Amino acid sequence: MAGEVTLVDLVKKFGDLAAVDGINLEMPSGEFFSMLGPSGCGKTTTLRMIAGFEQPTEGRILLDGDDMAYTPPHKRNVNTVFQSYALFPHLNVADNVAFGLKRQKVGKREIRERVAETLELVQLTGFERRKPAQMSGGQQQRVALARALVLKPAVLLLDEPLGALDAKLRKALQLELKALQQQVGITFIYVTHDQEEALTMSDRIAVMADGRVEQVAPPREVYEEPSTVFVADFLGVSNLMDAEAVGGANICRLRLGDFELDATRGKTDARGSVRVTIRPERVHLEPQDSTGQNRIPGMVQRLVYLGNSVQVIVHLAVGNTIQALVQNVGTEIPWKQGTAVQAHLPADALRVLEDTGAALAPLDENAVPA
Amino acid sequence: MTVATAHAAPPKPSTWTRVRGWVGNPWGRPRFLVGFTWLYMAWSIIPALIAIQFSFNSGRSRTIWSGFSTRWYWGDVDSVWSDADLHHALIQSIKLAVLDVAIATPLGVLLALGLARWRGRGAGVSNFIMLFPLVTPEIVMGVSLLLVFTHVFTFIQPSTTAQVLGHVTFSISYVVVVVRGRLFSIGRQYEEAAADLGASPAVALYRVLLPLLMPAIVASIAIVFALSIDDFVISYWLSCGAGCDTVPIQIYAATRAAPLPSTNAIATILSALTLASIIIGYLGYRFFTRHERAGGGLVGDMAAFDV
Repeated sequence: MAGEVTLVDLVKKFGDLAAVDGINLEMPSGEFFSMLGPSGCGKTTTLRMIAGFEQPTEGRILLDGDDMAYTPPHKRNVNTVFQSYALFPHLNVADNVAFGLKRQKVGKREIRERVAETLELVQLTGFERRKPAQMSGGQQQRVALARALVLKPAVLLLDEPLGALDAKLRKALQLELKALQQQVGITFIYVTHDQEEALTMSDRIAVMADGRVEQVAPPREVYEEPSTVFVADFLGVSNLMDAEAVGGANICRLRLGDFELDATRGKTDARGSVRVTIRPERVHLEPQDSTGQNRIPGMVQRLVYLGNSVQVIVHLAVGNTIQALVQNVGTEIPWKQGTAVQAHLPADALRVLEDTGAALAPLDENAVPA
Repeated sequence: MTVATAHAAPPKPSTWTRVRGWVGNPWGRPRFLVGFTWLYMAWSIIPALIAIQFSFNSGRSRTIWSGFSTRWYWGDVDSVWSDADLHHALIQSIKLAVLDVAIATPLGVLLALGLARWRGRGAGVSNFIMLFPLVTPEIVMGVSLLLVFTHVFTFIQPSTTAQVLGHVTFSISYVVVVVRGRLFSIGRQYEEAAADLGASPAVALYRVLLPLLMPAIVASIAIVFALSIDDFVISYWLSCGAGCDTVPIQIYAATRAAPLPSTNAIATILSALTLASIIIGYLGYRFFTRHERAGGGLVGDMAAFDV
């Protein structure tokens, strides 16, 4: 089946600034592929190059093996759903959806049939005569989808298509969009800065920073096994700690202050100054007198009740502060502010990260994706 | 259970407070501003109304009213209809305005498209130069155009052609400014969407951009027509003599000689044409933007001109 996109050493420079700085990606046919990253990471520029609105400075864009880097946008078998929808305000819904078919010189009857079919697919039957201005944001979004899907492109490009909608509608449309993609079976390339959106819908995610790809993996892997400092940081609370890698190959020996820990995840053959991470739900808090490997004493600084869990913020004796998530199982947790505890950081949960030097997002932006 | 409390009646406001409140109540109608606006409108429109009134004078005076008649429009030997000079001037004015619209509008739209899409060296300078005709005193432009036509492009002598070229030269800037404003406000997204859906640049221009630019184009037509029909300085400098006289030139000449109410009549016709061009422009604008509006009145619409 058609719809395989390959990016080879793709570079886009605006003046001296490299918005996209050497990207290699393979997106197999029928995949829901997301490009995730903060604003300015090059994800939209990459998408615009695939669509043909920008010309790459270097590199190749292959669609089913053919280089289309120099094919103008109107001759590419890809279609875009724009962030602003860009529905033609002077045309009604049916004419908006039929616009592409008319350019392909499709017969009148077939146009009517395919428009009706596609509007049914996006649940907008009966809205044919409406003008875009007379529709809600969610409905306009569906028209934009229909307008692109009616052409049966090999690849559908989506540039933050849910960005302008409110949270509740966005959630509903995420599921719909995923279902739709499975139904029509074409490749979706989806650009977003919202990690939850990417995790919910994608088959694979490319996390991007500074015009480069940090990690490409399925959602679970990106979330659970981040390979770089940036990915760990961008995908939520990451408990980043500085450490010194002093030895080992499969098991990496780490020195944090006066303590030594083992880590079996990530780049375990690293040496020297590294950063390690552990998911808050993998941090076990134990009484002060418990002993064993991979334990660092600390003191509970703060408890935050989150309903289904309690977030415990622990100040470690090595100077860092880490978060632990304790599941709410109905019993009261024994820790209070000021309680001395042992934080058990299991070796199979400690991950040694590769530092690509990508600037981490400031804290507030991480908490609430804008 | 509820205990009714007797409230003391509030004190009666003083007359001054009531007058003050009637004029400037922040929750009420802005009566002072409304009053001032009407005052200005009356001030600016009364001279025109008086001039129009005397175009219907039955006497030969432009100051003493002696009854209603349409003799200065047609019938009288000196009426607009019968006086060959006035008659000819009116036709010349309309001819210039129509030619100006027909040439300046398409050229201005293309220039606006080019200037709005041109990035890089020279773009800023040309955008700036485009505004020159708007700020250059008309007399300077008239004189320099005359010099150009008599010394450089000598194949164009002062004539109707020269007048049309002069009008196009200054009115094109207005078209560019209006159309470029609309271009910037609609952005590149619709063109990209059109290209994405398989429209070549030419088709995107014709099917998407031009319909979206229609309000600005209609507005430009109205502005250019009104500017051209109103113009005195350029028409005068590039005139070939009596044969090229426009209405403003005729009025100017007549006022210096022996003015008759027929000059008022021709001025009235001119005003009516200008007004009609503006009304047609406005209605056209309303028509072409009827899908983009979510209510909003006349003022809101005019703001969309985005000049």
